Amino acid sequence: MTEQSSAQGGGRADPLGGMPALALFLTALGLAGCGGAGQGPQAVAVPPDVAGTVHVCSSCHGPGGRSISSTFPRLAGQQKDYLIAQLTAFRDHKRADPHAQTYMWGMAARLSDPTIVALAAYYAAQPPVPGTPDNSPEAAAGREIYTQGIPAANVPACMVCHGGKGEGNSAFPRLAGQHSAYIERQLEAFASNARANEIMHANSKNLTAEQIRDIAAYVRSL
Amino acid sequence: MFGKGRVSEAASKFSAIAYAVLSVAPCLVGAALYILDIRPVHALPSYARQTGQQCAACHNGFPELTPYGRLFKLNGYTFTGGNYSNWPPLAMMAIPNFTHVAQSQPGGLAPGFGNNNDFAFTGSLFYGGKIFDHVGAFIQGTYDQVPNAIHWDNTDIRYANTGQLSDHELVYGVSLNNNPTVNDVWNSTPAWGYPYVASQLAPTPAASTLVEGLLAQQVLGLNPYIYWNRLVYAEVGGYRTLSPWSLSALGIPPPGTSSIDGLAPSWRLALEPAWGNNTWEVGTFGLAASLVPQRIGGAGSNHVTDVGFDTQYEFLGARDSFSLQARYILEYQDSSASQALGLSSNSFNNLHSLHLKGTYYYKQMIGLNVGYFNIQGSSDPLLYGDVSANNSPNSSGWIFELDYIPFNYGGPAFWPWLNMKLGLQYIRYNKFDGASTNYDGAGTNASANNTLFAFAWFAF
Repeated sequence: MTEQSSAQGGGRADPLGGMPALALFLTALGLAGCGGAGQGPQAVAVPPDVAGTVHVCSSCHGPGGRSISSTFPRLAGQQKDYLIAQLTAFRDHKRADPHAQTYMWGMAARLSDPTIVALAAYYAAQPPVPGTPDNSPEAAAGREIYTQGIPAANVPACMVCHGGKGEGNSAFPRLAGQHSAYIERQLEAFASNARANEIMHANSKNLTAEQIRDIAAYVRSL
Repeated sequence: MFGKGRVSEAASKFSAIAYAVLSVAPCLVGAALYILDIRPVHALPSYARQTGQQCAACHNGFPELTPYGRLFKLNGYTFTGGNYSNWPPLAMMAIPNFTHVAQSQPGGLAPGFGNNNDFAFTGSLFYGGKIFDHVGAFIQGTYDQVPNAIHWDNTDIRYANTGQLSDHELVYGVSLNNNPTVNDVWNSTPAWGYPYVASQLAPTPAASTLVEGLLAQQVLGLNPYIYWNRLVYAEVGGYRTLSPWSLSALGIPPPGTSSIDGLAPSWRLALEPAWGNNTWEVGTFGLAASLVPQRIGGAGSNHVTDVGFDTQYEFLGARDSFSLQARYILEYQDSSASQALGLSSNSFNNLHSLHLKGTYYYKQMIGLNVGYFNIQGSSDPLLYGDVSANNSPNSSGWIFELDYIPFNYGGPAFWPWLNMKLGLQYIRYNKFDGASTNYDGAGTNASANNTLFAFAWFAF
């Protein structure tokens, strides 16, 4: 062992450490080659009049609204009416949960009504991110709440408004394939009224942290 | 970040050190009288006004950049949105600070300062924001109480645009800047690396590689770049030295600076995969320069090549955020000109610089940073002999910092763009200029330079 080690160490002109660094670099190259950015279906073309705005949106929400970070919701395939309502609420400071204030109040401050409609139409037309299969007990429990509600706690079934496949309907947002951490944050914000919405406050205020986590795990899998 | 050298007790000794060490640009004692060490960078309130966003959108703590902050910079500081987009893009910064060194320095920590426990002040004015549709800027001018001077500071003016390449987004642009790596968007490279603010009064190790601040504000560089598919960043560029007249006009005293002979090429390549709330960057950077030591002609040039490797991992969560940065720089110094001028003993030296840092932030409000650095290189009596008894540049130690940032999610109602960081930093040296004990031959131990630095950093 000793001989072998010294033989390998034999041309050590200098403990420059370039090799480990290089190895790390090459590993990352390989990882990046397999890696995540830019996957998914082809996006629908960006209308020229909002191309600049969409580019800024994509900084956080990803190309075509397929965001990577759960800080930012996926917008691809979202309901147009819901997007219009939210962008307008950001602009008019009617939606005031912490992340809305950090990012979206500024982003939306100078959007005109026609631009909001064009942006909403663009993201609604993007192919949504497919759900991530989830066979966990949490997702199963979430499915129960999503489809049946919790009658004892006055929690109605989510699917009544958001659709059997989480596809949403008009002002009721698409939930399918959404980041679970984002869904959890929104349910918590509805429950605490940080995000003011009478219907969702009533529906979420009796949910436990575990139930919120279960619902979020399920809708992500849709 | 050790651009600043040791301000020692006797001015004559200082001059001798500076003369010897400045000759090979990478290794400076005392360069800091010229290259200012507090180089803060910043959650610029003018950017917050332009975008309407809170500091936390672009900064993890500050000044570390989030993925969105990186895109904002790569897109030329041109994103708008906020209701105050039309305000002039001006911002200010003030950093009153306090330095305590383990062992008092007879004669004062700097001219005009006491032997220990000194207060100092630095302040900056920024022009930061969109200029035209695809052109934006970060321009900083700074007043430093040490050494009581106003000078131009970090500057990055850029053009950026977007297109498509192989069906994926391509951001492309060019940066005109005055400090290698100041245009970089990862905090693992030197210009925006940890520590983000440091005492200008405390002794710091003599040696530093060229790319770690020794050309800061003395050069102009043009760096075209591309950023493809939010994954691959590539940049090449070149730097030229400013004339002594220009430096003087910009508040940078030319004496002691070395000049680049011709053009110094630089490069940067980085990959940054992202998944969930994580990003991981791995890259390389560096530059190669022919340097006329102290601008003394007649002996030719030194040739200095810096090859750097860096990596950064970031996790940004709603409550917890982590980041890790590492860089390793290999420097090759062909010092034939310095040797001919009697400024260095060897015709060839090398220097290796390692910096590691980890940060945790709780709710973007309370942060803990731990950094480690290790500088190693070949011994050279003429280059290091005045500060190091064994003629060695070797230094290592730890940098701890505790931060409190109350306003990263928006300042008080009367001025929502105020940001503030209250910080307590402690530097512990294991080795200083060659040794742990008696490094200077006069009985001084490395630990005598351990530094406690407290600061209040305001940006508004």
